Amino acid sequence: MLQRTPLAVAVLGLLLAGCGAEEPYTRVSAALTDGVLLPAYTAWAEADRQLADSAQAFCAGEQSLEQARASYLSAHRSWSALQPLQLGPLSENNLAWQVQFWPDKKNLVARQVEALLNSQPQLTQAELDKGSVVVQGLTAYEYVLFDPNIDLGDSAVQQRYCPLLIAIGNHQQALSSDVLARWKDEDGMQARLHSFPNDRYADAQEAVSDLLRTQVSAIDGLKKKLGAPLGRQSKGVPQPYQAEAWRSGASLAILAAAVDSAERLWQGANQDGLRSLLNSEHSELATRIDAAYADTRQRLGALDQPLGQLLADEAGRTALNALYDSLNRLHRLQEGELARALGIQIGFNAHDGD
Amino acid sequence: MQRRTFLALGGLLVAAGTVGGWTLVQRQATPLLLSARDDADGNHYAVGYYLDGREAFSTRIAERCHDVVPHPSLPLAMFVGRRPSRESYLIDTRDGTLLQTLASPAHRHFYGHGVFHQDGDWFYSTENDTTDPGRGVLGVYRLQGNNRLERVTEHPTHGVGPHQLLWLPDGETLAVANGGIRTEADSREMLNLDNMEPSLVIMDRDGTLISKEQLPEQMNSVRHMAVASDGTLVTGQQYEGDPEHAVPLVAIKRPGQPFQPFPLGEVQRRAMHQYTASVAIHSELRRLAITAPRGNRFYIWDLDSTELLLDAPLPDCAGVAASRDGFVVSAGVGRCRHYDCRGSRIVTEYLELPAGFWDNHLRLA
Repeated sequence: MLQRTPLAVAVLGLLLAGCGAEEPYTRVSAALTDGVLLPAYTAWAEADRQLADSAQAFCAGEQSLEQARASYLSAHRSWSALQPLQLGPLSENNLAWQVQFWPDKKNLVARQVEALLNSQPQLTQAELDKGSVVVQGLTAYEYVLFDPNIDLGDSAVQQRYCPLLIAIGNHQQALSSDVLARWKDEDGMQARLHSFPNDRYADAQEAVSDLLRTQVSAIDGLKKKLGAPLGRQSKGVPQPYQAEAWRSGASLAILAAAVDSAERLWQGANQDGLRSLLNSEHSELATRIDAAYADTRQRLGALDQPLGQLLADEAGRTALNALYDSLNRLHRLQEGELARALGIQIGFNAHDGD
Repeated sequence: MQRRTFLALGGLLVAAGTVGGWTLVQRQATPLLLSARDDADGNHYAVGYYLDGREAFSTRIAERCHDVVPHPSLPLAMFVGRRPSRESYLIDTRDGTLLQTLASPAHRHFYGHGVFHQDGDWFYSTENDTTDPGRGVLGVYRLQGNNRLERVTEHPTHGVGPHQLLWLPDGETLAVANGGIRTEADSREMLNLDNMEPSLVIMDRDGTLISKEQLPEQMNSVRHMAVASDGTLVTGQQYEGDPEHAVPLVAIKRPGQPFQPFPLGEVQRRAMHQYTASVAIHSELRRLAITAPRGNRFYIWDLDSTELLLDAPLPDCAGVAASRDGFVVSAGVGRCRHYDCRGSRIVTEYLELPAGFWDNHLRLA
């Protein structure tokens, strides 16, 4: 019998006197779960429900292209907001690829969408669901709505792509509601982040560690997502097509959604986030992390053109590099000083094994 | 037995241990967990903890270690330097005294693994011949005065970049995982990703090659393994090729059979992110356990039916070893776990050991 979630949990020498609901790590884990994580997963499922509706309405001629694009952008933003919160079922079942295909170095999205629709002009939901992850997610949806070679104003073109839009919308809705349900299950992530020990966490410290590690690694991921188009991995030569959501020009809006969500984990919905675990001796560190978030936010807010345009000139690239440096400071502060102040290990076996 | 007699006998045993130079290793009711561990500042330690949480020792050492090799009869353990370290540490496991800092000879460095021969007189380690980077060497050392190892000779491991080595059940024949990767002195940079030569070698401890087998995928580095009491051998691989390639990350050689893939579920194979770390077998319960720190998962299978029994989240998991009732697992973050595998349902227990900073491997003595 496969035990993904062994139910019986024994604890050796449990001597945790005073380990009640008021224990700070337990309090923060529960508060972040209810105030930040669950609302974000709920918002994602809701945005995907609207995406599925929008695909139907657009294809029935009841919604404009602008409205359809707005629904896509909303779905992508709410997906991006989950990046710093991606622990549990999303990351463990390799589901992220089904939502977004990035990086797409070989333009697989365009090639596979066209190949699929050539071979399956009457694409069914079942065919999409068992097909390649490349065509199941938001990246393929964005391609259809934004690629300049696809004129959705032409009814024949719309007829070609609509079965795919509808199937992606449904696939995303099913996936996000399934993940949300798994969070809320009796022995799902919500329960595991509330009371300890359980089959996943020995104590609240482990749970909070998992939250911080997920967030820190997401901020590191944002650096890569900005660094790739900036050419940081390609001798400084900008690679605009390596950006997320480059077709819709939403790269920076998506990045901002992830940063906002990382900051919510830090602040908490009611001043009850990771920050509240720092005692007075670390108040200076807390202030510096506040300032680092503010700096990243301000730099993002000051960028008034899409990423692709900013990459095209020197001033834009300078501003983007400054944003990268700001993200890097945020990453280092949390990975180093914050983790240490909270007694949290980021870990080394995963990165530095043998 | 009179209480007085009992105490005197106990005293004799202690005296034998401290004066005579040999002693019975006391088979503790509570086993001793041996591992390399760091502190929050990145300093390195050789540590021993009883599973009930008592610290036996924590000895600061200069370089990071990898595997630990308990002596078969003396209270000694070799903490083997991690690639490309040129030092290993012989520790008295009763109090942590550093008995010897063993230096590798010129143009050799340790790869992190070793074994003591069953008679206790010989120690073997995998080493790199840096004059021909990657040429695998089996370093042969003799135990002198119960507190010092001296290099006697060396043999080839019949492969490139050897990593873990273990005894087959006869205690005379060695299995060597030749990882296949060439690296130079003082470096961990991989020089031959286009031309890797991983292999599983079975050899006599006198250096004679008995067999050499390879998996089909050239970039699939055979690195760690475990051997059951019936000779069943399981290896864990680390694949250096495309992250999307479906390759056998676990392989098995059952007695008298060829070295071949161990069937993994697609969900598990993908979750491993092309990387397995420590491998352990529980011979009596016929269970196989593997840590996958890049996937942050810990797995247990039935060794015979290959059925998956446990697929658990375990961030930054590290070492695993068979205990009396199941497996003990450590991690770079969080608490060590014990998985009790006796019943029809595997039971998770959290050990009262210091949390986190546990390095790649652990041993129970």
